[in-house]
Amino acid sequence: MGINWSGKRRWIALLLLIAGFVVMFTTPPIIPVIQLPGEVYPAGWHLFGFLGPLPSITNTLAGSVIVWLLLMLLMLYVHRKRPQTGGETPPGGFYNFFEMLFEGLYNFVAGIAGSNIGKIFPVFMTIFLIVLLSNWQSLFPGVDSVGFLEPHLDRETGEPTEGYEVSHWFGNVYSLNSKCPWVSPAATELLTENERAARQLQGCYTGNLSPAPVAEEHVEEPEAVVEGEATIGEEGAEAAAGAEGEATVEGEEHAEEGVVAEGEEHAEEEGAHHHTPGDPSVPWVVLPYVRPPSTDLNMTLGMALVAVVFTQIIGFQALGVGYLGKFFNFRTLFTSPLGGIDVAVGLLELIGEIARILSFAFRLLGNVFAGSILLFVMSFLLPFLPWPFFILEFFVGAIQAIVFALLTAIFMNLATVGHHHEEHDEHDDAAHAEAHG
Amino acid sequence: MEEAIIIAGKAIGAGLAMIGALGGGIGIGLAVGGAVQAMGRNPDFTPTIQTNMILGVAFAEAVAIYALVVSLIILFVLQ
Repeated sequence: MGINWSGKRRWIALLLLIAGFVVMFTTPPIIPVIQLPGEVYPAGWHLFGFLGPLPSITNTLAGSVIVWLLLMLLMLYVHRKRPQTGGETPPGGFYNFFEMLFEGLYNFVAGIAGSNIGKIFPVFMTIFLIVLLSNWQSLFPGVDSVGFLEPHLDRETGEPTEGYEVSHWFGNVYSLNSKCPWVSPAATELLTENERAARQLQGCYTGNLSPAPVAEEHVEEPEAVVEGEATIGEEGAEAAAGAEGEATVEGEEHAEEGVVAEGEEHAEEEGAHHHTPGDPSVPWVVLPYVRPPSTDLNMTLGMALVAVVFTQIIGFQALGVGYLGKFFNFRTLFTSPLGGIDVAVGLLELIGEIARILSFAFRLLGNVFAGSILLFVMSFLLPFLPWPFFILEFFVGAIQAIVFALLTAIFMNLATVGHHHEEHDEHDDAAHAEAHG
Repeated sequence: MEEAIIIAGKAIGAGLAMIGALGGGIGIGLAVGGAVQAMGRNPDFTPTIQTNMILGVAFAEAVAIYALVVSLIILFVLQ
């Protein structure tokens, strides 16, 4: 089933290319505010706009929920499609692809795990599918770029930090205005006349020649504008800052500072989400609805713990209490001249086991988080041509999923091997484990 | 001014941390080079060699990734 390049699809591709060019020039891309921990949803958020209020979660948790749902759908699909009796014709399409993948991986792991395949393969496949779906989430449009509009304020002081102004599209749809990075009133004075004029030309609310204009959402407070001396521009500015009417603006030269003070007080008193979207007194950033779960240390550390705990479990199952002899090896301490070295090696293996957790967690986190930043930055630098990097990320995601699952399988298999039976193999394996730690 | 110095320090620190990627790069190059030579001499063992190569590459890459994580933490977590 190759791609049919004749006919309509060629025109669709051409139209998409032209649309890409147009979008590139009308709304230039934004370099987002990058944060390593998962962003927390605003308190009392609503699912699909009406289900709620719900407790705050992080957007990486939302990503994991999507992974779980996808895995459940996959499970149901495969279960329903699976031929129950031998005689049926095999179902086609995605089922066949999945069966091929499954079988290929099964044979692959069987070559490593040998007779332990029955215990190791379920863990391998589960980890593989979860990590794969988590990694690939950043390839989907909207992930990492569509989300809540949040005023970007310092968590401790409530001061506005960096961000963008907002442009209103229609209804409830807003976007960050990439041509207008937010400028604080104090920083406005540092701009040159030309820069301010350029910003005014772009239609920016902040950092231009005139003080902030009227923001429509705030005009329904008529008391805000009744103070006698205020000129029209100041009235607008005052209203935009959400002043409640008792603010008295003395003269023109103080107007801006007055507005700033009001805005800050407002933010501190009422909490961040009381700013109406588009309020130019604070900078805005997008808090994505969904972020790939493997960009959060909580998820990768959890997976690493699962992998290492399963390794210990299968070790105890295979060797009983003797499994501990791998780490606390006092058997040869008084019988052999090199007994002390055996004790040290055992302790080193214990440390290696713990270091494995960190190694698993940081390998996945580093790869996927760096990949998502790469996609951000490349979409920013080459807005028209980021797709080679999407292909790169596609492969990186798959390879990291394979590596994570394969290492789990190998370590689980290693744990089932006794310490004193196969001296030579064990040395090779120990070299592996140490290279890893 | 102080902010500028802090940002400069962060950038320099993150850049220095990424020197660690050097070792990972050399290691991966050696591993893949050796694996390709082995596969060229002995194509029948390609699957085995490939598996071990991917494992070795993953271990070598882990070191570079630690450096990357350190520099990411310097840039985006450190206040």
